[in-house]
Amino acid sequence: MKVSRTWLQKYFDELLPNAEAVADAYTFHAFEIDSAEGDELDVKVLPNRAADCLCHRGLAKELGAILNLPLAHDPLREPTPHYKVEPCKELSVTIEDVKKCSRYMAALVRGVKVGPSPDWLKEALESVGQRSINNVVDATNYVMLDLGQPLHAFDAQKLMQKDGAYAIGVRSAKLGEKITTLAGDAYELSPERILIVDSNTDAPIGIAGVRGGKAAELTQSTVDIIVESANFDGTDVRRTVQALRLTTDASLRFQNRPSPELAAYGMQAVLELIRKVAGGEVIGVVDEYPVRPHLAPVSVTLSRINGLLGSHFVIQEVTDVFNQLGLPYDVANEAFIVTPPFERTDLLIPEDLVEEVGRIRGYDAIVPAPLPNMEGTPDQARFRGIERMKDQLVEQGFVEISTQSFVKKGEVYLANPLDKTMPALRTSLEANLADALAKAKHYAPLLLPPGESPKLFEVGTVFPKEGEYLELRMTEGVPAWGENAQTVDNLSIAKLEDYGKDYEPVQYRPGPYQPFSLYPFVLRDIALWVPPDTDVGRTTSHIRENAGELIRRVDLFDHFEKEGRTSYAFRLVFQSSERTLTDEEVNGIMEKITGALARAGLEVR
Amino acid sequence: MSIAIRQIADIFGRMGFGIAYGPELETEHYNFDTLNVPPDHPARDMQDTFWIKGAPGTVLRTHTTSVTSRELEKMAGAGEHEKRMIMPGKVFRNEATDMTHEAQFYQLDGFAVGPDVTLANLKGTFETFYREYLGEGAKVRFRPSFFGFTEPSVEIDAWYEAPGKAGAWLEMSGGGMLHPSVLEAAGLDSTKVQGFAFGGGIERLLMVKYGIPDVRLFHSGDIRFVHGFEERV
Repeated sequence: MKVSRTWLQKYFDELLPNAEAVADAYTFHAFEIDSAEGDELDVKVLPNRAADCLCHRGLAKELGAILNLPLAHDPLREPTPHYKVEPCKELSVTIEDVKKCSRYMAALVRGVKVGPSPDWLKEALESVGQRSINNVVDATNYVMLDLGQPLHAFDAQKLMQKDGAYAIGVRSAKLGEKITTLAGDAYELSPERILIVDSNTDAPIGIAGVRGGKAAELTQSTVDIIVESANFDGTDVRRTVQALRLTTDASLRFQNRPSPELAAYGMQAVLELIRKVAGGEVIGVVDEYPVRPHLAPVSVTLSRINGLLGSHFVIQEVTDVFNQLGLPYDVANEAFIVTPPFERTDLLIPEDLVEEVGRIRGYDAIVPAPLPNMEGTPDQARFRGIERMKDQLVEQGFVEISTQSFVKKGEVYLANPLDKTMPALRTSLEANLADALAKAKHYAPLLLPPGESPKLFEVGTVFPKEGEYLELRMTEGVPAWGENAQTVDNLSIAKLEDYGKDYEPVQYRPGPYQPFSLYPFVLRDIALWVPPDTDVGRTTSHIRENAGELIRRVDLFDHFEKEGRTSYAFRLVFQSSERTLTDEEVNGIMEKITGALARAGLEVR
Repeated sequence: MSIAIRQIADIFGRMGFGIAYGPELETEHYNFDTLNVPPDHPARDMQDTFWIKGAPGTVLRTHTTSVTSRELEKMAGAGEHEKRMIMPGKVFRNEATDMTHEAQFYQLDGFAVGPDVTLANLKGTFETFYREYLGEGAKVRFRPSFFGFTEPSVEIDAWYEAPGKAGAWLEMSGGGMLHPSVLEAAGLDSTKVQGFAFGGGIERLLMVKYGIPDVRLFHSGDIRFVHGFEERV
């Protein structure tokens, strides 16, 4: 949710602290800040607070609670708006299924003048990355961003009047029914989608909670409008968004189930703003409100708060939090009975209040405490059994690798693979291990001394259709374990608990990671006649010193004696981390090495 | 990965944590239902979770918190009042992969349940863990968060001073106090026992500790990666 500090400031008499302090306040007491640039903050509102905090009023309320600054005015605490009580003769609303739409308010406004918005309105919208369209549409967007209530305005003259009255309906779409949205996109619908329709013609004029229809779009010549402030079911809206791949500011809010009470506040604010920026007269407001929410009081004791948090708060510190958050409460015998205001649909159980206390006081106030001692030894036997198997293999020169669980073919398939070429789960580690071995052999000269070939193993879950199990697989057998020793084992049925019970896995302390080069390596052999008793280590360093920075390995791979002379053969590996080496380059280095060795009295064969 | 889990197991073992395992192909029941994730929660959508063809209600576990459900149920069955477990294991998320995201990764989940385990104990446990694993200078910080299975919920940040670099706060793990519905779903009495739970990616921890640039290296099966660590004795 993008918010502007200037917009938030409208809620306070006192000057807000600088952007950094505001960002910190949110971060440590409410929500992460995705980005902060100049006046604009992108606040990552948590899912449990998206019902009331996807708007400036909600975020101002939070900021006020955190900084202990009272709101100068709170539109949601003003008296509930009252509309004309007599039935509106010129407008009616019908809701087909109250589970899908718990409230629908519609207002008929005549005589508006559609045109550009005043500068303050344009600037406010632009400050949070929105585009100005016209004064009426901007008013609906502004109020949504301010209070969180999605709103929409239809051009009344594009609807049919019957007996002098407009009729709005909320109903399921018919199979194959078509609608074109304001953006000009056409959709063919299924009966799970909910439509707003002109009941006099049964023609769709909007996709409920998502986007208005082209059929009733406002234009410069619009004079009469019907304003919608409603509440649609969050699950339905979410499914519609997925089915149509169409996310809007309205759908985002409805998905998070704002209170239907909010609709009246949204309507009041938007009618006021339309009157201000576009003129016109409110003829009547219809309020179909079949299902009213009920928020029960929630109680929590001081001992429960401190008992869960491990804190030492006193009554005053807790009541301060409730006061700052504007949560009405009673205190009796160290128990707090909180009556959540309508918009705080997230406060349902005592632990929700514990969280409010913890975060508003700040989790820094919680002093780290070690867990109490527990009797008995923790059960790590199975883990240690598996690690003992691994240690045995490492001792035999094996290297452990880890590969992907997704493969081309298997017995269990994903319904929704990410990589369409890898739709199955592996039934065995064999294929992955074979691939890894082929690759390892290719890189062996870079990593292992000449003559040594890589030996790999993997421990991982495999998924044959009979059911998953943990497989251990090696690329070759271990001679020391006998000729018939297997290269594969089912660790899910092996008795690893007994095997590991008293085993202490070997602990390693690796150093920092050195990224490997992505460029090819080059091999060169060099053979020398050396005087007897020539030190191999010294010769190796001699080669390294003259090889420059591209040398990766120097290994002695052969030596023999003939007619009193000793021959050493070294394998040299060259590689650059920046480019592919050329033959000429490596030849140049070899000449330098050969020259240096010759000067040292070693004869290059 | 094995080396890291050994060290983690050793540190948590000294704080009384055992190690538990569970299936990677998990039921919706243990992956979501028992963890207070409502049936129409976005996390269950196709875009976050891998579902199995021809087996409705079966998913590749999206967290090892599913093992927490199973272990808490065992705890209730055995009539125990105290239990501490960590669950290192592979988890799967249906999300695009890049240098910091993999569709399959290792998660370290854990919980400590007892008559009076608190959020302060969670902080103390992680302070000990990070000091032993990342170094003496490590610190722990909590920020507010939201998870269905915990209330209150927090993000756990670690202050880490990498060798030769300035210290920084890093987002490492999520955690909180187990939601009463989770305890009740397992058959425990949420008025008698309480506890904390946590979960975070292990790759992320290792990337920080060893300076590994790309998360995709871990499960590439490439031995050049294994050989990329100079061993310090």
